[in-house]
Amino acid sequence: MIGFLLLQVVPTDPATVVAGPSATKAEVEAIREQMGLDRPLWVQFAGYLGRVLQLDLGRSMISNRPVVDEIALTFWPTVELMLACLIWAVPLGISLGTLAARRRGTLIDRAIMALSVMGVSVPVFWVGLLLIQYVGGAGLLPFQGRNGPIWTANGLHSIILPAVTLGAVFVGPVARMTRTSLLETLGADYVRTARAKGASDWRVTIRHALRNAMIPVVTLVGLQIGFLLGGSIVTETMFAWPGVGRMAVGAITSSDFPLAQGAILILAVGFMLVNLIVDVLYAYLDPRIARS
Amino acid sequence: MTDAALSLQNAADQRAIGALRRKNAVWRRILRDPPAAAAAIFLFAVVAAAILAPWIAPFDPYANNMRLRLCPIGGARCPDFLLGADNQGRDMVSRVLFGLRATLGMGVTAVVIGGGLGALIGLSAAYFKRLDQPLMRLIDVLLSFPSILFGLAIAAVLGTGLTSLVIALSVAAVPSIARIARGAAQSIMQQEYMEAGRAVGLGDAALIWRYLALNCWPTILIYMTLQLGQAILLGAALSFLGLGAQAPTAELGSMAADGRKFLSIAPHVSTIPCAAIFLVVLAFNVLGDALRDALDPKLRQ
Repeated sequence: MIGFLLLQVVPTDPATVVAGPSATKAEVEAIREQMGLDRPLWVQFAGYLGRVLQLDLGRSMISNRPVVDEIALTFWPTVELMLACLIWAVPLGISLGTLAARRRGTLIDRAIMALSVMGVSVPVFWVGLLLIQYVGGAGLLPFQGRNGPIWTANGLHSIILPAVTLGAVFVGPVARMTRTSLLETLGADYVRTARAKGASDWRVTIRHALRNAMIPVVTLVGLQIGFLLGGSIVTETMFAWPGVGRMAVGAITSSDFPLAQGAILILAVGFMLVNLIVDVLYAYLDPRIARS
Repeated sequence: MTDAALSLQNAADQRAIGALRRKNAVWRRILRDPPAAAAAIFLFAVVAAAILAPWIAPFDPYANNMRLRLCPIGGARCPDFLLGADNQGRDMVSRVLFGLRATLGMGVTAVVIGGGLGALIGLSAAYFKRLDQPLMRLIDVLLSFPSILFGLAIAAVLGTGLTSLVIALSVAAVPSIARIARGAAQSIMQQEYMEAGRAVGLGDAALIWRYLALNCWPTILIYMTLQLGQAILLGAALSFLGLGAQAPTAELGSMAADGRKFLSIAPHVSTIPCAAIFLVVLAFNVLGDALRDALDPKLRQ
């Protein structure tokens, strides 16, 4: 709904954009009528809602193909990129955070935390530019587009640089949250009990403390999906990755409103779905939540 | 004003002074932490450079000279340009100074507007208990919505440009500040002087402004500063995507995007603005962490 309302108050006239710069006034009017833009706003909105429920998001003004088809094409590459990022960044972040918590106050801890602040502060596009310049420029890995699904060798090659770029800004927050959360749980009574019963240091850390420390980390990962989404929009644009984010940016800069609207809608819905998944994960990590 | 009200105001003033004095103690603690002190000094220098850019920039950031195109750092063609020249032969030092000015200005404007709005919402939620639930649910929705999507949506509606960018960044800054303001205001609502103020017959406006807002502002201000790093990073990303500042405006994000095309032959054109963004945001984050540590016992929820 927000998407619809926002796009309705556009100062640019969609009919003019479709008609092109050389169209006559009559042609613009004809297109306006054809698109239903002459009807009252609420009629348009009711129609829009009905169409969204039927998965009809209109047609792209540039390619004239249904927006749903365009989204279907770009959706999987985006999911693929995000998964490829999470699959290395989250485990690495958790490991670094655990290491920092276990070696609290030492040089290792300080180094990991310094790296994590740097990771939070670095613009995604700089990481991407550096990788393109040094790794891509040296011809080691492709950095333009997606050369196939991730399970093929070419596809796997082409996803490495985007996934590393996106993950680089994600390791830091995960490591930091793991450390904070683990430090809290390591001070808990049951951890002391486990230690008193003679469990080894690492066993206590991993079996007893880490699982309980994971709840805030999962929350963070869930919340940071939004942040990741931002990163993925930049990453996709830089690496010409055919995902939803790049499509959204392209649609906005070329004033293709139905496509922009559809892309923003799908990004928002996707984000909400991820939050739902995070809620389900909680129940798995903490059975108390499932019961309440 | 009655004597009672006057003495009450004195008490509130005393509290405000106390808060400031405590803040000074916090600052002293921060400055004893070397990275945080370095970050504070660096930011001070950067802000000064950004404000003074028109006077200290050695050249005009928009004066192009095609003969100096993509001149590298220390290149023989451009001995006066300390950081080389960009794709239109413009002095990088001047462009970075003006870029800092635009980037910081955009961040500060957004955080002041968004933070002000957020503070208003937070204070209202704490003061008018009936508004608490609806306002905070609204804030939760805003908070859970990725701010980059605001950026995209607003750019789609208002067109690309600095105005849309600042609006998007402002909206993004509202929810977290609203939460902090509400938390701070709620603890002040518990204070006896609030009840006393009401007892001597002060109106809502006076109570909110003179008692609530003036006692909360140090906390709110600190959090607004912390938000700046995030606002700058997001703004730079949106500009990089071409949704913010437009060429030829010297803005760090769009400068980085401009230089992208010349990455293989003249990497300095995009690397310098990227590094500038990184250092500024890093300094804000390091300072923010130190502030959070120093204030921790008070702000931990």
